[in-house]
Amino acid sequence: MLKMRYKENAIETLLFLASAVTVLILFLLCIFLFREGISLFHEVSFIDFITGTAWYPTADPHKFGLLPLLFGSLIVTAGAIIISVPLGIACAVYISELATPRVAEILKPFIEILAGIPSVVYGFFGLVVLVPRLQNFLNLSTGQTALTGSVMLAVMALPTIISISEDAISSIPSYIKEGSLALGATKWQTIYKVLLPAAISGISAAVMLGMGRAIGETMTVMMVTGNSAVIPGFPSGILEPVRTMTATIALEMGEVPQGSEHFHALFAISSVLFIMTFLINLIADFIKKKYRFKEAI
Amino acid sequence: MENIKNENEVEIQVKDLDLWYGENHALKEVSIGISKNGVTAFIGPSGCGKSTFLRCLNRMNDLIKSCRIEGQIFERSKNIYENDVDVVELRKRVGMVFQKPNPFPMSIYDNIAYGPRIHGVDKKEIDGIVKQALHSSALWDEVSDRLDSSALDLSGGQQQRLCIARTLAVKPDIILFDEPCSALDPISTNKIEELIMDLKKDYTIVIVTHNMQQAARISDYTAFFLNGEIIEFGETKQIFENPQEKGTEDYITGRFG
Repeated sequence: MLKMRYKENAIETLLFLASAVTVLILFLLCIFLFREGISLFHEVSFIDFITGTAWYPTADPHKFGLLPLLFGSLIVTAGAIIISVPLGIACAVYISELATPRVAEILKPFIEILAGIPSVVYGFFGLVVLVPRLQNFLNLSTGQTALTGSVMLAVMALPTIISISEDAISSIPSYIKEGSLALGATKWQTIYKVLLPAAISGISAAVMLGMGRAIGETMTVMMVTGNSAVIPGFPSGILEPVRTMTATIALEMGEVPQGSEHFHALFAISSVLFIMTFLINLIADFIKKKYRFKEAI
Repeated sequence: MENIKNENEVEIQVKDLDLWYGENHALKEVSIGISKNGVTAFIGPSGCGKSTFLRCLNRMNDLIKSCRIEGQIFERSKNIYENDVDVVELRKRVGMVFQKPNPFPMSIYDNIAYGPRIHGVDKKEIDGIVKQALHSSALWDEVSDRLDSSALDLSGGQQQRLCIARTLAVKPDIILFDEPCSALDPISTNKIEELIMDLKKDYTIVIVTHNMQQAARISDYTAFFLNGEIIEFGETKQIFENPQEKGTEDYITGRFG
């Protein structure tokens, strides 16, 4: 019996260590990222970095202004969310409430495949198919715009938004739905006035996670948004080339000398990106917990 | 049975109703007349078809794809299974309270206002309807000071009375109760029973119950279901004191079920 106990304890400890490693990795990542990022502020003032409107890392003198990149990321992400949220929720409602089980079974794997496609493939598709068509259709000087990035990111965020929203809607007990129908509500009234409000926490979490995915995406946006580091106008900027934070890091990291100002500036951007995605995930988690659907009894 | 007025007035007339779930023949040639402004109880062992039958009366079985129904149910001399029947209108007239309290995850007020709102009742009237529904369901004194708080914060018994109030708010003629007390404690059960006794003045009530004492206490008529058939139907007193069928007697005296 004692031997058994030791074995149990050993397994428990092992599993604890395994999960502790993930926390440790996150912790180390944080330290490293922030340490390298903060080094920038020995040379450039924090205010200049945060409020700088120009990003000329190789000019003389250097300009490490975050704003063009931050707004680049924000406009592309906002566009992606505006496109993908209505589409994603509509899809989730259709799959969970309206589709026959057979149609739902056919649809779901396709949506999952969408999530499995490598981002470079999306980028390639965007570059070859979407960019020239958008350019011709809207008569632009270049099809590599924030909008192109938004469209591609919207497609990429869809699987997350659909599957989490669908979970949220399906998890509402059927007796709630019956309660509404029994009062003489139509199917649509039931969906719109009972199911969606009841699932709002899950849907909000889905939107936040989709947003997290969009803001962190690198390869696709780098390939289709044109990468010009200017602060985009609003709303006209959506049809102009932009450069996101992620694309900047990916494009420039290979060329900077380690330990240089530019190197630290890229880490400072990474830190900003990290904080943003961290906050987004935190908010998603908070909403999920706070408004989780309570059982009636 | 002095308390049965209008003894001949039948609110719901069911003729030879058959129902199948896929291959399973769940209701067999059920015929019954349900009296207006009375309480009719359906009793019987689990799986005997009493809940299934109840759900035929407001066409809730429409939601089940594999369900097939033959026969006729007349309400207001109209067969509710005709093709041109407006199910929304039907369910507005035939309210239903479920086994498990199922308030919507919104405020107490909004729960009750939901029905009138979807049926396009004028905004100005809704306050009054909510108040009246809460009074009729004996919930007003307990919740009048917190109409804006979540319905899910109420106790199980209060939630069930809220569901009754919600049903009353759409002003039905008939209310179907599907084992409304099975998830409740004895005190809450008692309150719901008193409420049902009170409501029968204005509504025709059909209640499915597992609890035979409950049927005996509150109903005027009782139908005993077994294996998808009505074995016996009559005045509650007669069913419990002098059952004509052996099956009814066996069930009532606790020999099975």
